[in-house]
Amino acid sequence: MGEEKSSRPRINLIKAHIDAIGAALRRMTKPPMTLMFPDYEEAWPEGYRGFILYDYDTCIGCSLCAQICPARAIKMYRVPGDKKMRPGYNVGRCIFCGLCVDICPVDALSYSYVHDEVYSEVKPMNMDPIDWTLWSKRIKEKEKSAKPKLKPVIDEDVGLRYEVVKSVEGEK
Amino acid sequence: MEAEGERVMVLEQLATQTGLPEWLLRGVLAPLVYPGLGAFAAVALFIIWAERKIAAKVQMRVGPLYVARRLGGALQLLADGIRITFQEIIVPVTVEKKAYVAAPIFAFAIVAASLAVIPGGPGVYGFSSSVSLLVPFALLGLIPIVIAVMGWASNNKFTYIGAGREILVTVAGEVTLLASLLATAMMYGSLDINKIVTMQIRTGIPGIVVNPIAAFLFFVAALLMTDRIPFDVVLGEQEIVQGPYTEYTGLLFVLNMALDYGKLYALMLLFSDLFLGGWMPFDGVLLGSLTVFIKTIVLMLIAIFLRSVYGRMRIDQIASMFWSRLFPLALASLVISAAVHVVYTP
Repeated sequence: MGEEKSSRPRINLIKAHIDAIGAALRRMTKPPMTLMFPDYEEAWPEGYRGFILYDYDTCIGCSLCAQICPARAIKMYRVPGDKKMRPGYNVGRCIFCGLCVDICPVDALSYSYVHDEVYSEVKPMNMDPIDWTLWSKRIKEKEKSAKPKLKPVIDEDVGLRYEVVKSVEGEK
Repeated sequence: MEAEGERVMVLEQLATQTGLPEWLLRGVLAPLVYPGLGAFAAVALFIIWAERKIAAKVQMRVGPLYVARRLGGALQLLADGIRITFQEIIVPVTVEKKAYVAAPIFAFAIVAASLAVIPGGPGVYGFSSSVSLLVPFALLGLIPIVIAVMGWASNNKFTYIGAGREILVTVAGEVTLLASLLATAMMYGSLDINKIVTMQIRTGIPGIVVNPIAAFLFFVAALLMTDRIPFDVVLGEQEIVQGPYTEYTGLLFVLNMALDYGKLYALMLLFSDLFLGGWMPFDGVLLGSLTVFIKTIVLMLIAIFLRSVYGRMRIDQIASMFWSRLFPLALASLVISAAVHVVYTP
């Protein structure tokens, strides 16, 4: 018992308390390092893979996307009044790997920067070609009306700091 | 002497205007308006918001913001309070119903009653007596019993453990608190809070200067009695959810939560009367009351600021700290009181 006691490091109690309180007070003067999410958003990195967008007019109906899709999120549909098969998209199954965008020979598929959408039901997550086209237009609108973008910067003093990114459009 | 004349004037005027006896007016106004429940409600709304905001500041977060955005989320607690007030009060099947419902009401009523004795300004008190220093201490000493009943009636392991811890913590803390109060009473040679404040004003020296050890012990013991963070073993959120309050919902839970803040408010009001000279620089009823109120709020802000500085202590650490470190210190403060007693002897 005696040995244990002597091996314990000796500290100056009063100094330790003052140090602790001083550290807390010093940190109170620093700005918060949080991202105020609904009002600001984090800037997208280059080549960000969000939802897959579909352009009906460019598509040639080759069905390569449906074949490559590892999650079977894309399936081919028969659209009334159209000779070609067209891809439909299941958001719930999509793993955002982007293979379909890579393989598309006419660039009818493209990435978006959005991947936060809320669905209260399962049904509307599974879209046929027409739905997917309309939905893609809506997502594009959402991208345009986006919130101010911030970029995390390592700060010597605070640790992390968010800076406003000026030209988001240029990066795109 | 000027204060004496003025305070009689104000209350006499009120008494003659309303046609009620003065003692009744005092007995109703002091516990219900100021320094009692009305003032306490305002303080609690502000303090709980400040607690969250200060903790957020220290951790470099933002804290509550979206309710009343221009005021920095100051109405967050009002919104929470309204929500929780209209929440259903669920009484579990397994509880002892009468004790379960009555215990929080009893406990909070005891805290409110103790506010009747503590003066919140020159002449602003429910009733005064020559032993009024002992009354709040005796009343606050009843609360652990009610909390033990609460934990037992709730019939839940967490509440049993919480009630047991409450008793252990009270035994450790109350001895220190009582010793520091005794040292204070010895220093002033009086048990009347009003007299103690007048003595400090007469000599112009606040008690914290004369006997800082007693003041320090009072503050630390108050932190323990009100479950503030370095000593919050009773509520122990990490392991026993909410301690004795685990099974409560709705308004009864609000009462339980207000209980700890009410105790803190009462003890800090007592602290500012005993050690900071009460309404010291001022004599008037309004300015004096405001002074005491502001002193109390500052003390409470210090108490809640410590939340973000320290970690939790273990129960055995708390017990050994209070019995083997602070209790001898309390005896030392008694010796100091005996030595400096001369300052306040007329």
